[in-house]
Amino acid sequence: MIFGGIDIGSTAIKVALVDEEDRLLGARVAATGSHFHQNAVEALNGLLAEQGIDRAQLGFLTATGYGRKLFREADDVISEITANAIGAHKVGLAFGGVETIINIGGQDSKAIRIDAEGNVVNFVMNDKCAAGTGRFLDVAARNLEIDLEELGEYHFRLSGTPPPINSTCAVFAESEVIGLLAAGYSKEAICAGIHFSIARRIARLAKRVGIDRRVYFDGGPALNRGLAAAMEQELDAELVIPEIPQITTAYGAAILARETWSEENG
Amino acid sequence: MSTEVSDIRARNRQTQQAMEAAAVLARIQTEFPDNPAGMRYFYDLFQKTYCEQSAPHGKPVIGTTCVQIPEELIYALDAVPVRLCNGTYAFDQAGAEFMPTKSCSLVKATLGFLNQELPAHLQGMRQVINATTCDQKTKAGQIIEQMGYEVHHLEVPRSKDSEQARDYWRHSVAQTARFLEQATHRKLTRRGLRTAIGKVARAQQAFRRLHALRREKPSVVYGKDVFLITNGYFFDDIDRWTEALEALNQELEERIQKGINAAPKRAPRILFTGSPPVFPNLKLPLVIEQAGGVIVADETCSSNRMLYDAVGVDEWFLYDMVDAVADRHLKPCTCPIFSSNIDRQRRLLELARSFEVDGVVYQAFAGCQVYEIEQQSVTAALTEAGVPSLYVETDYSPDDLGQLTTRVEAFLESLRSRRRRKRQ
Repeated sequence: MIFGGIDIGSTAIKVALVDEEDRLLGARVAATGSHFHQNAVEALNGLLAEQGIDRAQLGFLTATGYGRKLFREADDVISEITANAIGAHKVGLAFGGVETIINIGGQDSKAIRIDAEGNVVNFVMNDKCAAGTGRFLDVAARNLEIDLEELGEYHFRLSGTPPPINSTCAVFAESEVIGLLAAGYSKEAICAGIHFSIARRIARLAKRVGIDRRVYFDGGPALNRGLAAAMEQELDAELVIPEIPQITTAYGAAILARETWSEENG
Repeated sequence: MSTEVSDIRARNRQTQQAMEAAAVLARIQTEFPDNPAGMRYFYDLFQKTYCEQSAPHGKPVIGTTCVQIPEELIYALDAVPVRLCNGTYAFDQAGAEFMPTKSCSLVKATLGFLNQELPAHLQGMRQVINATTCDQKTKAGQIIEQMGYEVHHLEVPRSKDSEQARDYWRHSVAQTARFLEQATHRKLTRRGLRTAIGKVARAQQAFRRLHALRREKPSVVYGKDVFLITNGYFFDDIDRWTEALEALNQELEERIQKGINAAPKRAPRILFTGSPPVFPNLKLPLVIEQAGGVIVADETCSSNRMLYDAVGVDEWFLYDMVDAVADRHLKPCTCPIFSSNIDRQRRLLELARSFEVDGVVYQAFAGCQVYEIEQQSVTAALTEAGVPSLYVETDYSPDDLGQLTTRVEAFLESLRSRRRRKRQ
């Protein structure tokens, strides 16, 4: 029997499939777009087809993320915080166990504290704005006229001190970036400045739940190595970044799907 | 601004209030199955007062802005106290005209509400008693005065433990009694005050019975209904309110006999504390209960703190009674404005224990500094006692509803799994 987790976020839809031992069989990341429901169905079916799995073999599907309640194909729903914790706990075991999780998503960021068994002990989310989220990076990349994927490289090309980005609002940061460009700062310097600005904000958030020696960092922006380096410095902790950082929450939902199925089927 | 334009704006805000109120009343009634029949009175009360035409009291009305204002004195002079603390988002936005943008929603909404034509149940209200509690409420008193109301500034000490504070407070209350005598052109009498104390005590007794019924496991009443009931106390005729609550209590007791619960057996039991839910801003309580939790107790000034502690009289002489009334409104008050507020922690821990709660939800309105500050010490005390808690900073705007729902659901999920682990 196969089990699935689908994480419908503001920017991307993530699907993960596991077997009865919680082993990850495959995963897929797709854009949420404006027809998120259709895109979610396609992402799921596409992954099943790619893995050569028949829909009937899918024993249980758990949905999570902002769109979870609108995805009626799922057997159950779970909040993305709990799903993220379950996924990170499982992945983190290979790294010696993690108890602090930082997730940066498309429209929010969170810090979660779990115990050694993976239970959520405490969590905080950022305020209702895009500061310190993936959207912030998106806006900055557009201003700098570089690809989102290039931000990390630019970060490491800098020698010298990056300028501070003081705005905590994504909209104001945009004009701040334009101002810095006009003042003659290089794109490299501004990239690094942005990464440190986000890292500082996230570190403040994470302090509220307590930062462990080792911190699990996931969500799309965790692909940005420049940001990861800035985070490591601000947090003063070892970062654990999974291979595909976008899918931890979907993976957690899939594990929960397997658990629920096992409970219900003895 | 021409009168005509300001009239249109005021009417528009009233329409917005009616819309907010109707939406919340619909959620309260339709999203929860099998509400007690006795709640009908309260649903109708809010429907009439907020969405239709409210009924005048037929007696002089004195506006109040705080739980610490001794309502017994107002009743004793045959006037009606009406608590003006407002929960409407449209008035919160309108009130931003008077206060800095980052101030508390409740204070701004109260100002926005007062700065327009009053609804029928407040017709003729000229006097407002404003307590000098937090900075924002203290300064709001001045603004209300500028709107043309006669404002009595009830001076509240920032400490309640010292003998000086108690003396100061008793003087403040005595002064308020004199203000009220002048405002109503009546004389405070022993008999009048005794009757008033009895009237309020009867209402409190009904509340306490409801409070005790909330201990029941599984829960027999939802917190959204309790907040509606206690919010009704702000403005309803006190005797009618008490009778309606007594009838509801009776029905709830019968439901317990018949084994009819409000919330599912395993719904996480929540203790609610912090900035007060005031109708129609029942955003957070509704998010909690729609996500499958049930609020079984609260420590807020729109509910439990307002009604739990009664006047204790030693001697039925006028001045002893006035002092006793003063004591009721200071000593048991657990408002975070007080310099030392260990009482609040003690009360929360006691409520958490005796109501067998699974977790605490702490609401702080953005801009309400005292609740924001006290969050740290309260959370630390709860953590030490092994009680999980969720701190939520929010305001009247509906913008954060999606995020709030996710956070609350995650909190309830963690409480459920914690309970499962305990059982194992």
